[in-house]
Amino acid sequence: MSRLILKRLALTALMLLGLAVVTFTVANIAPGDPARLAAGPDATQEMVERIRVERGLDQPLPLRFAYYVSDLLTGDLGTSVYTGRPVAEDMATFLPATLELVLFAITLAIVFGIPLGVAAAVRQNKASDHLIRLIAVSGVALPMFWLGLMLQWYLALELDLFPLRGRLGVFSDVPPTITGMYTVDALLAGRLDTFAEALRHMLLPALALSLPALAAIIRVNRAEMLEVLGRDYVVNARAQGIGPGRIIGAYALKNAILPTLAMIGLRFGWMLGGTVLVEGVFDFPGIGLYAAKAAVSSDFEPIMAVTLALGAAFMLTNLVIDLLYAALDPRVRAQI
Amino acid sequence: MWKALKGGRAAAAALALAAAVAAVSPANAVEKVDGKFWMVIGGRQAVSHVDPGQSYDYAIRMMTQALYDGLVKYEGDPPQVKPWLAESWETSEDGLTWTFHLAQNATFHNGDPVTAEAVVYSYQRVLNMNEGVAWMLSDVLKPENIKAVDAHTVEFTLDRPYAPFLSFLPWWFVVNPAQVEANVVDGDFGKAWLATNEAGSGPYTLEKFDQGTAYWLKRNPDYWKGFPYEDDAMGGIIYRLIRESSSQRASLLKGEADLVTDLTPEELDAVGARNEIEITSTPALTSFGFKMNTQGQHMSDVNLRKAVAYAFDYDSLIKIYNGQAKLQDSPFTDAIRGHVDVEGIPRQDLEKAKEYLAKSAWPEGGITLEFVYVQGLEQQRQMGLALLDSLKALNIELEMVPLTWPNMVARAADPAQSPDLMCIFATPVSTDPDAVAIQYHPSSHGKYYGSHFLDDAELNAMIMEARSLSEWSEREPIYAQIQARIVELQPEVFGMMRNRSFAHRDWVKGYADSPIRMTGEVDLYPLHIQAP
Repeated sequence: MSRLILKRLALTALMLLGLAVVTFTVANIAPGDPARLAAGPDATQEMVERIRVERGLDQPLPLRFAYYVSDLLTGDLGTSVYTGRPVAEDMATFLPATLELVLFAITLAIVFGIPLGVAAAVRQNKASDHLIRLIAVSGVALPMFWLGLMLQWYLALELDLFPLRGRLGVFSDVPPTITGMYTVDALLAGRLDTFAEALRHMLLPALALSLPALAAIIRVNRAEMLEVLGRDYVVNARAQGIGPGRIIGAYALKNAILPTLAMIGLRFGWMLGGTVLVEGVFDFPGIGLYAAKAAVSSDFEPIMAVTLALGAAFMLTNLVIDLLYAALDPRVRAQI
Repeated sequence: MWKALKGGRAAAAALALAAAVAAVSPANAVEKVDGKFWMVIGGRQAVSHVDPGQSYDYAIRMMTQALYDGLVKYEGDPPQVKPWLAESWETSEDGLTWTFHLAQNATFHNGDPVTAEAVVYSYQRVLNMNEGVAWMLSDVLKPENIKAVDAHTVEFTLDRPYAPFLSFLPWWFVVNPAQVEANVVDGDFGKAWLATNEAGSGPYTLEKFDQGTAYWLKRNPDYWKGFPYEDDAMGGIIYRLIRESSSQRASLLKGEADLVTDLTPEELDAVGARNEIEITSTPALTSFGFKMNTQGQHMSDVNLRKAVAYAFDYDSLIKIYNGQAKLQDSPFTDAIRGHVDVEGIPRQDLEKAKEYLAKSAWPEGGITLEFVYVQGLEQQRQMGLALLDSLKALNIELEMVPLTWPNMVARAADPAQSPDLMCIFATPVSTDPDAVAIQYHPSSHGKYYGSHFLDDAELNAMIMEARSLSEWSEREPIYAQIQARIVELQPEVFGMMRNRSFAHRDWVKGYADSPIRMTGEVDLYPLHIQAP
């Protein structure tokens, strides 16, 4: 098992290098002059050229890539043209926010998605099945930002149940930074009120973010459950008088969960890279907005850092899912 | 029959938890901290740093102006240069030497006096960094020619007479040399430290810099210049990032923001109808037009440029902004000193358009022009559609190309790449006519507002002469000629001045607009809250 992990980690590093090459090339051959943008709209040509030299933008591309990778290995992600701060600092500010939001959203999707998928399969073609499938279809069909705007308008503005935006109230104290995730840091500091407030701020964006994943989980889980529930061993178990709860939980779900797990892994990766619209609507200061701002400003180093971080997260998630596969399925374990 | 499922129960429990978490939000009222009012301003642009020497945009300028003082400051409508750190100044006969006398009682936030040495240090720092506002003076002022005559007198000696000199000084702020020097790392001029810290003497101090979220400014009750209001219940201002116009509106209505900047025309209409909301909408210094590439394949033909200018339906611009805009009567917007209404500036006249087209290299039309605008800016897309519609009468097609801003800037930098027509908002940094005139001079080629690549010997000579004269009576007639000449050359379809629009709760007092300010920029100094 540990050999598998090591092999996969080595492969991940190799893939990240490939990702770096592609991103670096694309970001640099795209039109746009980062030096001019950094210098400002009224800058003289001399000011632009000075910044070009200072940031090494006048060097040939392969050389710049070599410098970039060697800096990267020492943990130096460069400096953002737009924020003027080290990219590593920016990432430390914005990445935990997004991670917290996505973890919360995927938890919502799992907690609701799996039971609803099971329920729909068990009550196939009954009213509740139709209702659950309606949720699933809506999750695929409704654009995330529209749903976010509607939730914000109705639940936050009209009914005044939730805050409109942000991670905490303007006047609330941020908990001491340990992980950068407010809910976790608040719990670690023993501040339950801050924890509840952070959770309340996250609920609407997480809801909007989780719906497509929820829909996907319901659909996959329902289909798998339907297949498994028709298998001989389930019929046999029922004939032996084993209770429905035990049949679903211990026999059917355990076998039906594998494809759902794969879906969860995929969705988690997509969510990490797809938070920008929800972050925009709810002014949630995360990596999505940071990356979007960097992209429209040709701010090259943050683009690289975000792409690599998200790529790494995606690959690690897949690794974890594969390991879970092995843990749950003895046949997979046997192949290792 | 399967019994009630665990899943269903789990879902119900989770819903209950969600409901418990959803407690009622803060009341719809002014926020108070330690008995003082804190005003929340909701703006769309993040503050990337607060160093007055580095790059600037409206959010940065709004912050730096509150944290620092300049020798002079812009106030009022029309904008006037008012004494600030400098109580008075004089110019030598030859226009080369400018002497400023500083206020005796000005102090930095740490208690150090604001001295002539501090002024010299601050100007030299920017000129040596050669970033941000440096371009305004770097052509005429060498760092070594700024001198402290005594503790409260500072003297600038210019390389040549430069009339707009004073009009740029409001954007040059004075930093405390002792604080900056203590934080210089590897000869970085203190840039890293000043990005999120301040060393100023302004009406506000920096309380908290919460990147990408909110920026807290605490009112400095000991401000050397005092405040233009009596009530001292004002604690500070929070500039909070609210990125969507619809969210800005929601925040204002819910009381989460007291003032919001740069609303879209639709959102402004929506909030304007409410009693508790006051809106202001005034023409800005910003001009808007379609710049035409006078060195391009098509637009190098002045007759074609004239034909396009006469074909365009100008009223569409006003409609797109729901009436919150005014057509330009000159390349110089109204608040620019020396503005005149240029007679014969084109308005829609299809007969004339066809006459000019007949004189062009394409008398029958039959060409396709490229029109570039900022991706995602709905108003600009609508303007493009209006132009597309107008040009049908000339049998000219319009290819509409949305580009991101960096890509537009890149194309505007090269005459071979610059499109036939480009949508450009341009905000001059001063009210001096030179700030606009220079946009039509070859020295602006390569900058986004120079995408017309106009190069006219007669015009160039007038621009250079006018900026070198120190007497306004001599400059004024030249600027009238410059405006007429630019219209005659028609390097752009002169468009409109969009209004600067702000909405605030009725308890916000002291709001003072000035056309010199950039889109979304507010002068924080006179703003305060009066208890509702």
